[in-house]
Amino acid sequence: MFKNAAIVGVGQSAYTRHPQPDQSVHVFMRDAVVAALGDAGIDARDVDGMAVASFSLVPDTAVDLAWRLGLSLRWLLQDTNGGSSAMNMLGHALRGVETGAASVILVLGGDATGLAGYGKVAANFNLATRDHLAPLGHGGPNGVYALVTSRQMKKYGLEKSDYGHIAIAQRAWAAKNPHAVYRAPMTMDEYLNAPLVADPLSRYDCVPVVAGAQAIIVAHPDRAPRGRAPVAVRAIRASFNYDNQEGDGLQTGISTFAAELWPTAGVRPDDVDVASIYDDYPTMVLAQLNDLGMIAGNDLARFARRDIGERRFPLNTWGGMLSAGQPGGPAGGLNGISEAVLQLQHRAGERQVKDARLAVTTGYGMTMYRYGGTAAAAVLERGK
Amino acid sequence: MKRGLTIWRCRACGVAFFPERLLCPRCHSHEWEQDRVYEAVVEEVSTIRHMIGQSDWTPRRIASVRTSDGQLITVGLRDDFSPGTAIDLYEDGSAPYGQAKS
Repeated sequence: MFKNAAIVGVGQSAYTRHPQPDQSVHVFMRDAVVAALGDAGIDARDVDGMAVASFSLVPDTAVDLAWRLGLSLRWLLQDTNGGSSAMNMLGHALRGVETGAASVILVLGGDATGLAGYGKVAANFNLATRDHLAPLGHGGPNGVYALVTSRQMKKYGLEKSDYGHIAIAQRAWAAKNPHAVYRAPMTMDEYLNAPLVADPLSRYDCVPVVAGAQAIIVAHPDRAPRGRAPVAVRAIRASFNYDNQEGDGLQTGISTFAAELWPTAGVRPDDVDVASIYDDYPTMVLAQLNDLGMIAGNDLARFARRDIGERRFPLNTWGGMLSAGQPGGPAGGLNGISEAVLQLQHRAGERQVKDARLAVTTGYGMTMYRYGGTAAAAVLERGK
Repeated sequence: MKRGLTIWRCRACGVAFFPERLLCPRCHSHEWEQDRVYEAVVEEVSTIRHMIGQSDWTPRRIASVRTSDGQLITVGLRDDFSPGTAIDLYEDGSAPYGQAKS
């Protein structure tokens, strides 16, 4: 439990599917920074730390961004862990503030690759992808997780419609989020009849790539605006290259630390009021929830049909990346954290989960070869 | 095209890997020798029908296979194979492919 560090502000840029040529990632990041500082009521001159992750910041690096933002810092981090970058940066920022390395840390993610640009990024995630997958026309992460999804369906007896429950429920939440790029309600027929992208994945199983940015502010809880609860982090854990890509990908790195996460947080999985689970694909939502011990009896099908299909469990209440859009993995992860913060501060508007006090957030990513090799999770609590 | 697929075998413990590693994940030896594996069994198959950022795309097949030496790898398929089918492996540049057994 961090006692001297908490999340005290969140902000985001607009999201767009088709950025204009003059809309670089820098511009989206600037908008997110302005929004987060405004939300926290903190002057930019008080920021003395920054963490940033982005696929499209190149050739700039974190210090270049600090320069462009006019921030003189004593703590700086650039993270490269894709879908778990947000969680990773959050952990570092909390420890940075807790130990006094910095007092106000801006945690920032964003991307504006455009569709063609994302295609290039996805073909060059790492050497293994560039040399052994992209020449096959593997379709980027869609192809990788198509194979993982087939494996999960076989192992757990899942049907295509089980994934549909997740996509449809998240779309219903997105209808209440003015920032989401897809807000129209979705029916199971629409989900099941959507064009296949990479069998068995169809259109609504794959995150829509958008341009945008997200930011959160980590500082002493006393820096939270008057009358607003800071959000404390009871526990946070991460895992990197947990199995050398030798497993089936149906367990994530979360499986290596879940048994430690909950006791450290001093709560149980069924105490959680709201969950932001990294949703690049519905498959991986189920895998992460199962690793967290949040799916009774490892019965993924029952969970999808009952808990999600019947709206018994508030999952990805901003619509998730599947409906709100994925502005790159790092910002996508930050959006999940931001939503948990809004829920715990009781500021989520129409999406508000009544009396939300505890949230779990996760990150998952860096598709190394056969599946993702990084994962992280945190238990967040409404502070006093 | 070259028959079989290059794998990297640890000289210390004998376990082989694909893609190439720097240290052996089992015993952390850094001494390797190249070997080849020629056969695999298909475990999962997908047809890539759409490629992000490309409007002119011919669908391709990929598969997760288990080689006869135990490696789990992703290959391209030029033919339509079902899970459980035994295939021959070959390399086209650095990319691994599977084809019907000769």
